[in-house]
Amino acid sequence: MRKVLVIQEDIIILKILERLVLVNDFQCKAIRSLDSLSIEDQQTNFDFIISDILFEGIAPLEFVAQVKEVIPHKNLLIVTNMGQDKIKQEIFALSGIDGFYAVPIDLDEIEAIIQAY
Amino acid sequence: MLDSLESFFGNYYVYWTVNYFFLIYGIMLMTIYFSGVVLANRAIRRTKKKSTFLQVQDIVSATDIPSVTLVAPAYNEGMTIIENVKSLLSIQYPYYEFILVNDGSKDDSLEKLIKEFDLEQHDASFITQPIPTASVKSIYKSKNKKYTHLTVIDKNNGGRADALNTGINFADTELVICTDADCIIEQDALLKMVRPYLEEDEEEIIACGGGIGIANDSIVHNGVLKELKLPENLVPMVQVVEYIRAFLLGRMAWGEINGLMLVSGAFGMYPRKRVMEVGGFDSKTVGEDLELCIRLRIHMENLKKPYKVVYLPETLCWTEGPPDYDILIKQRDRWARGLWETMSLHRKLFFNPRYRHMGMLYYPYWLFFEFGAPLVEFLGMIVIILFGIFGWINWPFSLLLFFLVYLVGCLFSTAAIFMYVKNFDHYTKPKQIVELLLAAYLEPFLYHPVLVYGQMKGYYKKLFRIKSGWGAMTRKGFKVSDS
Amino acid sequence: MRRLQKIEASFADIVSKYLYVSSNDSITIKQINTTLKDVGIKPRNKNNIQYLIHLMIRTQRTILGGHFNKLQQLYAQIPPYGVSIGKINSRNWYRKARGIREIYEMNQAQYFDEIFKLINHKNIYVRREAQIAMVVFSGWESLRFLPYLKKNMTLWQQIKIVEKLFDLHPKPKIKWLHRAYETDKLFGKKLLMRIIRKYELHGETGYILDHLNHEDYEVRETAIYCVQSFGLSSRSVNYIKELYDDIPDATQQGQLLDYIFENSEMDVDFYLRQLYSDNDELKLNIAEILWNNGYKEKVQEFYYEQYSKATVNAG
Repeated sequence: MRKVLVIQEDIIILKILERLVLVNDFQCKAIRSLDSLSIEDQQTNFDFIISDILFEGIAPLEFVAQVKEVIPHKNLLIVTNMGQDKIKQEIFALSGIDGFYAVPIDLDEIEAIIQAY
Repeated sequence: MLDSLESFFGNYYVYWTVNYFFLIYGIMLMTIYFSGVVLANRAIRRTKKKSTFLQVQDIVSATDIPSVTLVAPAYNEGMTIIENVKSLLSIQYPYYEFILVNDGSKDDSLEKLIKEFDLEQHDASFITQPIPTASVKSIYKSKNKKYTHLTVIDKNNGGRADALNTGINFADTELVICTDADCIIEQDALLKMVRPYLEEDEEEIIACGGGIGIANDSIVHNGVLKELKLPENLVPMVQVVEYIRAFLLGRMAWGEINGLMLVSGAFGMYPRKRVMEVGGFDSKTVGEDLELCIRLRIHMENLKKPYKVVYLPETLCWTEGPPDYDILIKQRDRWARGLWETMSLHRKLFFNPRYRHMGMLYYPYWLFFEFGAPLVEFLGMIVIILFGIFGWINWPFSLLLFFLVYLVGCLFSTAAIFMYVKNFDHYTKPKQIVELLLAAYLEPFLYHPVLVYGQMKGYYKKLFRIKSGWGAMTRKGFKVSDS
Repeated sequence: MRRLQKIEASFADIVSKYLYVSSNDSITIKQINTTLKDVGIKPRNKNNIQYLIHLMIRTQRTILGGHFNKLQQLYAQIPPYGVSIGKINSRNWYRKARGIREIYEMNQAQYFDEIFKLINHKNIYVRREAQIAMVVFSGWESLRFLPYLKKNMTLWQQIKIVEKLFDLHPKPKIKWLHRAYETDKLFGKKLLMRIIRKYELHGETGYILDHLNHEDYEVRETAIYCVQSFGLSSRSVNYIKELYDDIPDATQQGQLLDYIFENSEMDVDFYLRQLYSDNDELKLNIAEILWNNGYKEKVQEFYYEQYSKATVNAG
């Protein structure tokens, strides 16, 4: 079954995205920080990772670089409260990012991407 | 000798002048502290209410907020430099730049930084240095895009103030925040520190400080304070109380009446434009933070523009306090010299109505009660000894008075501790509160006399022009958790 | 603390289930109200209710489009009902401002008239929230009240107004913008420039350009900040070059210099004119531009002439 990893510190966005993923027939692992990721999860090749960039103890750009390196995945979508154009450009400059959504988000857009997969 | 002293103090006028001087000084100090409690309480409540309308989640997503550069000087900090830089890079703010100034370190700090952050040298030929500093050798930026926000400036040694000025010269953001490379800054500290600037109304914010806490023996993970513990030793433990009291009852209260003259060097934010206008930190004094704040205020007074110096009650920056008496004495000796230098540099403020409240109230307060307190205490001890020898002391009454003063002092410390614990999410366990209270009650006997000694040592050096620099501040380093 | 976490987790669960209905795990309004009651959302628990309101606002602010409307439907059916209107009649500024905020965040437009009266309130938080409410409810039309605002608008006030306008009224109505141009209030000018920037209104950049040499430092600062978002025609850049000398602050001149350099062809005459002018503060920047763009000999020539005055940091 197709799998999605959602990483969001904000539990409300986390739950909404988790639900969005589940009703679209994906399996979902929803976590609030990378510390909650098991070794097994780190070996899973996720179809999507939907992640925030604001986490304790790690700079946003370094976090994205770390996620890209550590967790196997096919698509990486960023959903974040810190969604200024400048941040967006810096994140895309890291390459390998498939989407950037600044809060407030239109959930239909994210759903459309997942459905199109 | 004793006979002549006895006849001098035995003079009716001298005797009563001395007695009343100490009594009035004490009463005034108590009144100031009491007003401090009232004002601080009001300030904390108001700050909390205001923050409802300006939450960090709102600021983090906003587009037109001011850009901020954090400037941190480092000197021979090779042991911890990588962790420190990573920690400071992880601060959450959308328009954030971080400048580390390597102030002529003799260790391998620079090599370590180059290796870890993939730094490459940039041409330093065209750096403009509106504030003169020791010469810059090179500018380094990372080749790795994940470290876009990091700049390392390698310069010849010029001291802390000089290194900060170099960073401020190079910064091109609206606000600059000055700290030390080994401080642990709360992740959302900048989001909170910009609040006053975003809410600036008629009065321009010329400096903003945040609470500083002592985190000896606390546990740090990924550059973030994971578990705040009380220090194991008495000296740093009492400093926890001292900082809580100073920041809550002192800074917050003075902030409430716009009377702040000091924003701590360990964590202070300024508009770059104003700092440039006054020529940056003064590298000739060891009290550069106090001196800059006063100079900024004078500058605004001269411009006749309304301004404000503000303080945030929350602890946003954690540092390691002196772990033993030796280092504590060195630190307070340095602070005392800095205070002396700054007070003397700006003596024209003394009861000068041209500078309004600053001249008529704030500067005299600093002179009499910040600069003067150790002198008065020291003189007080001498007078007690002499009067004791002459048999002029009514011991039962004196002991009663001493006990009363001690109780009032404990009361202020207790109020500060409870205000802190109630309003902020630190030291909330009952055991910690008891330990803090105990430390506060022991402070007058086991800590304060050493403090006065350190301060008097600093004054002595200034009085007899004994040269002395910053003095080595040996730090043990925080406990690092790998889990 | 744990109680609030419980409310947050339950609320997250409710919202997610309500927004995305699953055939095997759906939730009814009755179940939602029972769950909320179970975690302590009762009229007597005012702190819990306040926290729920905070969560409702927070959630609503993260979502746009169809799900935003769906969320509003949910909010209409769960407690608290009518808490905020009581607050705006309070004498306490904190309660009043909080009430206004809750009303506009919850889109309760029926209270607009009561809030409108407060746009010039003596308390900064009350009038700020009232002004934001006006933008939320009236959109672009609210700009016509700009000249009538009596008190200064802080930067945060401007930011919030621009953001709310953009999120809730994304289609610009230039007519109201043009009417607001009449304002002589400095905060009004700054606000309008920020709106032009946010909506990327290329046709309105003239308004920003006209303020680049304004006498007020902060108005100039906002104009420079806003103009940097636009790529301008060579005619407009030439206009900026004309204004350049009128700007009395070296840092601001430096910012404009960077903009001119990045957004126009290399104009050697302009840079040389600056290099030989009396303005010393930016000479190094100008020299750097010339040096890096093939005019090393011009820089050398200049420094040979003025060698004794040069302050190049040779590293």
